[in-house]
Amino acid sequence: MAAAYRLQNIWWAIGTVIFIIVTSVALGHAARSVAKWRGLSQAEQRKVYWGFMFAGPWIVGFFIFVVGPALASLYYSFTDYKLGEPMDWVGLANYRQFLLGEGAHGRRFTQAMFNSFYYALVGVPLQIVAALGMAMLLNKEMPGIRIFRMIFYLPVILAGGPAILLAWRYMLATNGGFINITLQNFAHSFVLFDYVYRAFIYVVESFNGFYIGLTRGDPIGPLKYTLPAILAVLFIAPAASGDWSHNKKIAARRGAEIIGLIAFFYLASKGLVLDPIDPAWILFGGLIVTLGILVSAHNGRYVAVRTWQYASLSAFGLSLLLTAARPDAAELAGQLIALGAVVALVAGSFLGGWSRTKMVAFGAVAVLLAIGLFVHLIPGQLDGGRLGIIPAYLSFGSTIEHPDDLEYLKEIYPQDTMSAMWFYGLAAAVLFGAVLLDGKHPRARKYLLYGGLIFFALIALSSLLDGIAYFRAFEEIAAAEGKPVYHFSMFRNAIEEFPDSDRLPMWMGSELWSKPALVLITMWSSGSGMLIFLAALKGVPRELYEAAEVDGANAVQKFFKITLPMISPAMFYNVVIGIIAALQTFDTIYILQNTQTESSLRSAAYFLFTRTFRELAIGQGAAVSWILVIITVTLTVFQFRYSSWVYYEA
Amino acid sequence: MTSISISQRARSKEAAAWFQWRTIGPILGRVLHYAVLIWASMFFLFPLAWMIGTSLKSIEEIGQPQLNLLPAVPRWENYVKLLSEESFYRAYLNSAFIVTMVLLGTITSVSLVAFAFSRLEWKGRDVVFALMMGTLMLPYQATLVPQYVMFHHLGWIRTFQPITIPGFFAGGAALVFLLRQFMLGIPKELDEAAMIDGANPLQIWWHIIMPLSRPAVATISVFLFVGQWNNLLQPLIYLQKPELYTMPIYVAQKNNLQESPIPWQDIMAASVLFVIPLLIVFIFTQRFFIESVTLTGTKR
Repeated sequence: MAAAYRLQNIWWAIGTVIFIIVTSVALGHAARSVAKWRGLSQAEQRKVYWGFMFAGPWIVGFFIFVVGPALASLYYSFTDYKLGEPMDWVGLANYRQFLLGEGAHGRRFTQAMFNSFYYALVGVPLQIVAALGMAMLLNKEMPGIRIFRMIFYLPVILAGGPAILLAWRYMLATNGGFINITLQNFAHSFVLFDYVYRAFIYVVESFNGFYIGLTRGDPIGPLKYTLPAILAVLFIAPAASGDWSHNKKIAARRGAEIIGLIAFFYLASKGLVLDPIDPAWILFGGLIVTLGILVSAHNGRYVAVRTWQYASLSAFGLSLLLTAARPDAAELAGQLIALGAVVALVAGSFLGGWSRTKMVAFGAVAVLLAIGLFVHLIPGQLDGGRLGIIPAYLSFGSTIEHPDDLEYLKEIYPQDTMSAMWFYGLAAAVLFGAVLLDGKHPRARKYLLYGGLIFFALIALSSLLDGIAYFRAFEEIAAAEGKPVYHFSMFRNAIEEFPDSDRLPMWMGSELWSKPALVLITMWSSGSGMLIFLAALKGVPRELYEAAEVDGANAVQKFFKITLPMISPAMFYNVVIGIIAALQTFDTIYILQNTQTESSLRSAAYFLFTRTFRELAIGQGAAVSWILVIITVTLTVFQFRYSSWVYYEA
Repeated sequence: MTSISISQRARSKEAAAWFQWRTIGPILGRVLHYAVLIWASMFFLFPLAWMIGTSLKSIEEIGQPQLNLLPAVPRWENYVKLLSEESFYRAYLNSAFIVTMVLLGTITSVSLVAFAFSRLEWKGRDVVFALMMGTLMLPYQATLVPQYVMFHHLGWIRTFQPITIPGFFAGGAALVFLLRQFMLGIPKELDEAAMIDGANPLQIWWHIIMPLSRPAVATISVFLFVGQWNNLLQPLIYLQKPELYTMPIYVAQKNNLQESPIPWQDIMAASVLFVIPLLIVFIFTQRFFIESVTLTGTKR
């Protein structure tokens, strides 16, 4: 039977070769005709002919296998196409479903994106550490090092296919699997190891329980602000504490990035506002645009002013159109008017030159917008009562005063907690101060920065304490909020008791352990990252180390002050590649999943596979693939754009 | 008198130096380094070793939790049983067939295109090349879905065509790029001399450039081989028929048979036979992998 298929395939291959030859020659002739028509010399025509003929296979394939399908896929993504059923235009419904997580499939996709995010957040750093460790071990001229290099790389070759993944699946079996038996033996061998083993289980289960609760949209109380706040500190601190004085351009770009980060984390803490008409968006967008225009006009860069104007006009106009087309537009009249006012403001800036009065007027508008944003984001914050929270927080006092009082927890508590805006407002203030003091008062600037960061950390810590109080009363709160199914109960169970030594990591038997298992396997096969690090390490000039040794630097200092900055481009590259790979993980999940852990393992690519090729929903699959393409291409462009920047900053 | 005592002291110092940290430090460091390397190697090699060990165990040995890497008595019967299965042969042959077709088609077309981008000078080359490099950014998901629809309409679902035919169109911009970079390094005088002798570009490609590009062609062949031998996604999509199964699906579906206890020894035996060609290729060509990464800075 199979032989017939092979024979058929050979005939098709021969047919394809003939097709390629014919089309390539035709392409060559066509190109020559065009060259002749454009009046190129005889020799040039000949060259064009041969060139297009040789490149013909790729050009023809590009149209058949890339351009054509991509266009078709774009079309399908706006339809409800299912193989064998008539196709109907559904507009943006597919995208809406997936981006907003509506319906059963939307939720599945959201879950997949959260899983991929986990692989990026937890897996990629661990992978980087593993790869860098491996590379540093191998970056030494010793006899036999080539053999080790080969062994370290071998998993990459093997992990591409199902065989070794099956071996991993077997090794990861909960009862009687090699890994669990080894871990148990390790734990029983020495008292201290027993505690290490139990602490390991405790940490993994709590962390994953928490992540699961987070991804399923359970009420999270104060953590809604704590988490983005901690992330913001982690991201902003290194950016803010760098040297700001030596290059205005870099400083400006970094400032913009910090503002962007603050905005992003703020919106994340608000549950990422998706509505284009949300007042927060209008005010925030208006503020950014006004500031952008003002700064550019102040510096006399009118080209930049124009760019700001055009870009923001199109963005706001689009937002206006989208909202006006909504069935409930009448209810949003007030916000539509606000949006219209912003559009009018930007449009008005086209008129006349940039006089001093106009700039002052724009500055006044910016101040008004900032006040509006501030007041909008913290309802009732001007009544003075909320200011008392700050000392309570800074002294680690909890604002949850009546954890048993459901009424309090449900109605008052969400309003009474430390608002995120304090946080980010403060971040902006610190940043502003840092820029103002730049150069003139380095010491004051330093104190301001570190003081601000300490302040952040204090608030983050105390809202973490609040979070713990919240979780003690969690089930009541969840019930009071009308969410009977809560996944944070896993987290609560995990933190409530320290596991005893008989407990086993469940690996593929539980959603608490399935993702760590996958991360372990990706760490095992991080050899390609290792090769990139190895190449980067070999490129670090020896003289730098020698100079540092003369100055009396120790190994740790040398690593952090020389090695790490010098290999930052490779690091950056590996991080971006790792994130892309986190979206595209497929083989590992296909082999390792079972019915219990499928939903907790599923990556974006795996969801695409099941939705398209198992359930044959082509239209929705096409929409998912376009979402993935946009994310991946953005990341890649980002990588190309910023890889040089990382290097120069180093 | 004094001179003797000085030399004696020097000698005793030399002897004592052996115990000094400055001498013993590097030796100790080196021993430690090797120890860490060997320990890490065990981590990397262990799944492979466990796979081989399990494939020689009996089902009873699998059932009881133990840590023995190798069974007391190796059971070669597991392999004999596997080799007597017709479906196994078929999957192996299918895999070999697909890999051959893909290699043939891709190498030929890729070398033609790389030749056009490196050895020929023509108007529009840079534009086409930039376009090709642009496709490097596109993830494979971009065209996965619509290609399926296309192959569905061509009646190619449940045939080998969707996997083998696209390769004939110089699939894989990274491969073209790698080969192009190599071809750029071949001296221009060779083509010019041939041109004067009246050779056309096709003859130059076949008689001059291809023989000189052998190392690069070998490199991309190895990449293609490893990628295709491991390829699981596309066969899963297109080859949903037992006669068409390639080795990756054959091995993967062995795991899905709901048997209890799970016959790990059979699954692992199939896995070992699946991995052997990969291992052989890798051991002999590992240099290519390491060099290509340092050369292009790209995965695969």
